[in-house]
Amino acid sequence: MTADALDPLIHVPARLQIVATLAALPDGDVLSFTRLQDMIGLTPGNLITHLRKLEDADYLTSEKTGTGPASRTSVALTRRGRAALDDYTATLRSMLNGL
Amino acid sequence: MNPMSDTAGTYEDEGGLDPHDAARLLAQTQRKAERELDFHSPWLSVIAAGAVLVGFGAVWLSVREQHPFKGPTAAALVVLYVLVAIRIGTVLYAHSRASAGVSGRSARLERAEGAGLAAALVAVYVLMAALAGDGPGSHRAFYWVYGLTATLIVLGTFWAARSAVKEDWLGLALSIAIMLVAAGSALAGPRGMWLSDGVGLCVLLLGYAAAVAWLLHASRSDT
Repeated sequence: MTADALDPLIHVPARLQIVATLAALPDGDVLSFTRLQDMIGLTPGNLITHLRKLEDADYLTSEKTGTGPASRTSVALTRRGRAALDDYTATLRSMLNGL
Repeated sequence: MNPMSDTAGTYEDEGGLDPHDAARLLAQTQRKAERELDFHSPWLSVIAAGAVLVGFGAVWLSVREQHPFKGPTAAALVVLYVLVAIRIGTVLYAHSRASAGVSGRSARLERAEGAGLAAALVAVYVLMAALAGDGPGSHRAFYWVYGLTATLIVLGTFWAARSAVKEDWLGLALSIAIMLVAAGSALAGPRGMWLSDGVGLCVLLLGYAAAVAWLLHASRSDT
């Protein structure tokens, strides 16, 4: 098995960190953009870019509440995103066991 | 500003990962996220262990020579209540740090759980007040034993139910042990129960802290 078997959307350091961090939240919870940025340590622009890619693949959802300077964006993994991380983890594990 | 509408993104980190590095990064990130999003820590349990030992110990020192039993002195109660306040303060601080930026189902559940716990504690004290209103004033010993033991049993029951729902078996074991220590200590009477509760809960909390620390260490070693 080669690294190509791993989901290319997740198999990137920044997105792997995003997905793994959001997966630590209990089902039904969302995390604010600023807290996620604080936990992962990416620049806002970089984080937005990776979040968009994951959102386009339906791995996460984002929700904006409020308006103007007080607005707040929260993100959460979708069921599909959790399943993708589980598949990624299983594939990675079998790959490493085979090495 | 809505950060998701910001288009100033850059495509960093697009390069793939070696599987070993990916596994290491995944484990590190999961561990870090779980640690930062969970307010429980061995240190909080160690602080609680110290607080119960010193607080209950102070009360025990104030009542152990009382014949007949009159109840804890004001000074001992001040020490106890200050330590209880410190314990509550440290938990609230740790909780607010861990839950910053998190919203949704957990927060709603925690508010509902808090309401249930508050109602149970109020019911215990209302019942105690009702018994005190009807009974003779010389039964102070009964009310102190009842008040402390019932409070610990209510807290233990609440935490046991919470731990069971979360499948936190270590927390469940601690909660059950706390209830057993509280009930057993009541048998030691209004003087001895403070020492028995203080030492018993301190040992349990230190054991719990050590077990949690060991599990954290073991999970680090596995990865």
